[in-house]
Amino acid sequence: MSLKATMKIIVVDDMSTMRKIIKKMLNQIGFTNITEADDGATAWPLIQKAHADGEPFEFIVSDWNMPTMTGLDLVKAVRASEELKKTPFLMITAEAEQGNVVIAVKAGVSNFIVKPFSAEVLKEKISKIFNK
Amino acid sequence: MSEIKRFIEFSKPFIDATRNVFETMVFTKIQTGKPAIKEGNTSQGDVSAVLGLSGEYKKEGEICPYRAMLVISFPFDTYVKAASAMLMEDYTEYNEEISDVAGEICNMVMGNAKRDLTALGYSTNMAIPSIVMGKNHSIRYPGDTTIIMIPISSAHGNFYIELCYKDNVKGDIEVKIQK
Repeated sequence: MSLKATMKIIVVDDMSTMRKIIKKMLNQIGFTNITEADDGATAWPLIQKAHADGEPFEFIVSDWNMPTMTGLDLVKAVRASEELKKTPFLMITAEAEQGNVVIAVKAGVSNFIVKPFSAEVLKEKISKIFNK
Repeated sequence: MSEIKRFIEFSKPFIDATRNVFETMVFTKIQTGKPAIKEGNTSQGDVSAVLGLSGEYKKEGEICPYRAMLVISFPFDTYVKAASAMLMEDYTEYNEEISDVAGEICNMVMGNAKRDLTALGYSTNMAIPSIVMGKNHSIRYPGDTTIIMIPISSAHGNFYIELCYKDNVKGDIEVKIQK
């Protein structure tokens, strides 16, 4: 993958287990600059602040189901922001129903992963997002 | 279709989903043992993820509301080994850092099973799993419900899937957990 290892990534999930797994997988793929957030509501101000500070997140990886602000609400907020709307956004969900894919795509996700997934699948999805 | 036939049909997606989750994210194959009717409330495992669910069975003109419960219960040793594999770390004992592993496994199993249940005619509303931990903890299942326990073996040790299912239930099944 030709992406830089220091690409600034934020991983958003309310379950620390899944944040750890995604972070490990991203490390295995070669990424080193990873921030964690435990809800969309925690992530959103971090994403805004990073942009305001001139060091924006270059990739958002987010769970769908979170207690305060869902991944769906987070992607909608990102896509509604003039400054942030082009940020690549990968949605992760436990629910494998086709209807969810349609909802996520309509909301503007760059790609979509259904749990469970391997590091290889994550790498493939990232390649698809950044090689478009 | 009778309730027991529906219960058997309803159970299969959970086994398939558990197999998929363990092979993909816990890096082990599982073998299912002989299902048995569970008597009593004492859990076979030391860490249990408990998930209530409800919905409606709709097929060939038949409409039947249902309530169900999924429990995935791990002995400490299996839990620590499964968590170590899943998180790609070496844990030697249960601790806070791995406390939500059971919940995440339960979420993934339910999420995966949901797709197959939909295909079979079951709509599913899932709750958030709760975790019960400790030797000999009890789970008070809804009254009047049969509990099926399926022993599972894996390279990380044994664990148990428990399912209960009830047709035509009005109102929520109350899930009471005793420590």
